[in-house]
Amino acid sequence: MKPLIRYLNTIWQITRKDIQVEWRGRQGVPVMLVFALLVVFLFNFALQLSPELQAGLASGLLWVSLAFASTLGLNRSVSLERENNAMDGLLLAPVDRSAIFFGKSISNFAFTCLVAIILLPVFSLFYQQNMLSLPLIGIILLGVAAYTSLGTLLAALSIQTRTRDVLLPVLLYPLALPILIAAVESSRGVLSGQAFADLQSWVYLLVACVVLFNAAGLMFFETILEE
Amino acid sequence: MSKKPTLLLLFDVLSLILIPAALILILFFTPVERVMGPVQKVFYFHVSAAWAGMLGFIFAGVAGAGYLITRRQTWDWLSLSAIEVGLVFGLIAILSGMIWAQPIWNTWWVWDPRLTTTAIMELIYLAYFILRSGLDTPEARARLGAVYAIVSVGTVPLTFFSIRLFRTIHPVVITTGGEGGAFNMSPRMLLAFFISLAVFTLLLADLVWHRYRLAELQTQNKQEA
Amino acid sequence: MENQAASHALQIAVRGLVKRYHYHPVLNQLTLDIEHGAFCILVGSNGAGKTTLLRILASLSRADEGRIWIGGMLLGTSPLLRKRIGYISHHTMFYQDLTAIENLRHYARLYALQDIDEKIQAGIQSTGLTRAQHQPVRTFSRGMQQRLSIARALLHDPDILLFDEPYTGLDQEAAQSLDQKLNALHQAGRTILLAAHRPQRLISIASHVAWLNDGKIIQHIPTSRLADIPDLYHYLQEAA
Repeated sequence: MKPLIRYLNTIWQITRKDIQVEWRGRQGVPVMLVFALLVVFLFNFALQLSPELQAGLASGLLWVSLAFASTLGLNRSVSLERENNAMDGLLLAPVDRSAIFFGKSISNFAFTCLVAIILLPVFSLFYQQNMLSLPLIGIILLGVAAYTSLGTLLAALSIQTRTRDVLLPVLLYPLALPILIAAVESSRGVLSGQAFADLQSWVYLLVACVVLFNAAGLMFFETILEE
Repeated sequence: MSKKPTLLLLFDVLSLILIPAALILILFFTPVERVMGPVQKVFYFHVSAAWAGMLGFIFAGVAGAGYLITRRQTWDWLSLSAIEVGLVFGLIAILSGMIWAQPIWNTWWVWDPRLTTTAIMELIYLAYFILRSGLDTPEARARLGAVYAIVSVGTVPLTFFSIRLFRTIHPVVITTGGEGGAFNMSPRMLLAFFISLAVFTLLLADLVWHRYRLAELQTQNKQEA
Repeated sequence: MENQAASHALQIAVRGLVKRYHYHPVLNQLTLDIEHGAFCILVGSNGAGKTTLLRILASLSRADEGRIWIGGMLLGTSPLLRKRIGYISHHTMFYQDLTAIENLRHYARLYALQDIDEKIQAGIQSTGLTRAQHQPVRTFSRGMQQRLSIARALLHDPDILLFDEPYTGLDQEAAQSLDQKLNALHQAGRTILLAAHRPQRLISIASHVAWLNDGKIIQHIPTSRLADIPDLYHYLQEAA
């Protein structure tokens, strides 16, 4: 097999295994989804949000609930590999270790996107605003891709500490701030019907985040996992 | 125990002389700003502290890369020291900024891009210490600390840019005219400003070096015990 | 010292290996040669660095200094070298929610094997777990998991097998079945390096004993010559 095909195959095998485990146990996505909805309800009462929510608040609420829910998925994703030292099994595979990063990152991306897809109609219903638009979905894909790649990298860091999963939010949220700001602002723009020209700097910022954090994963994942 | 290097002693002496000198320069040599009054003089040390903090964080990232390449403990001490000292300078920048903002903006805190970026940076680097304290071996602390320091310094421009895209009310330094606290710098102000920057850079180097030596001595002490 | 020509004839050649924890060497300028088809037991007290050595050989851990040749190739030059190694520890590396078959299939795919189904079936049959193959690994006993774990390590047909304390947590029956399995693997010509805290039961089937102490291999002899080294002989008596 050619090295590149081999590499891509390994990424796909790891993602596929994560999806298989999730399908069998259903311990990740349902928890993430319920948690995201709880965040929506809590904020609704805490901030006394009206049904005629402004675009800015709706997009902010969407991203906060997604970011919180995604953290659960990220922690679950690495603790799965810690159980029985399954991570050793991945490390033994005869490919460059960054493939593990991309494999885990893609499955985390898929799970968070699944939560987002279910959240969108719920938001549309609760806040009387159609949120099922293609541009918004595009922004969600970009934002979640950036967030889960940074999250996968930091989850691999935090899992090695004594505090384990408790540490992930503390590492992730401040570093994820540019992603969240860009995602909230561009979603708000889309929801209030702004033209792409007005939003493009936000979208480019998201693209920059995706590139930067994936490059960081490519460079550092092996270093993080070695002893 | 290793002897204190002469150059470090020189740094100490220079810092001790130059900081009061810069202070005197700022208090008596620079003109009082026309609109803001004497409180504008906070600006010199405020910007210098922010500069020193930022420089410390960048240096910590570079030292982190140095560790990952060479795997020498000394690079980790440098990275750790730079972050610790940078954190203090960042705090000074925030506090002095608040003192300035109270009379000028009529509030201690605004959600302005630079304030927020600096505050977020402080949180990022506080998390660095939480990360380290959760790890058992010095090798793991050094290795994961280095990765974190590099990734963190990489996100700082993104954070700054993202917050900057919101409209800022923070004055942009060295500009021609403006509102909300922006001002023109006279030649005397510029001179005092650049001297402050230089003195704070020296102080940063001095403190990082001292903190580095502390780490070195601690390790020696542990090995002897 | 680093005679590469000599290393080619060996399955595993370790030169000047150093690994530090807390900046203190756990492995200190360690040298070790393992020949083709040898079954070497690695003995030494707890914390002597047996696990560390095996993890470095399996490239799960990074050496601070030194060089390692696996079948004449320098470790760390290509990830493909990992294909030649099977690694078994008392951690099973299985996903609890997946069945035995699914776990094996996952690992077979990671190694990009051909004829996966036949290989998995052969593996399952060799463990005697045919009836349980569609059950989640969660429901397996410790001994069943260990047998499956060996099948996992053999899937890609490696010529070198590294065992780290494989007897941990096994009952008498499972331990005996592991003895037979190891003997069969040895007879089939695989190179085996096995770390054991209490190696007594293996001395009759192994070909060599290596004694790890103070970060170095201080004795490395054929099991037939054990009586010549009273220190090691006594050590093994005490460890049992």
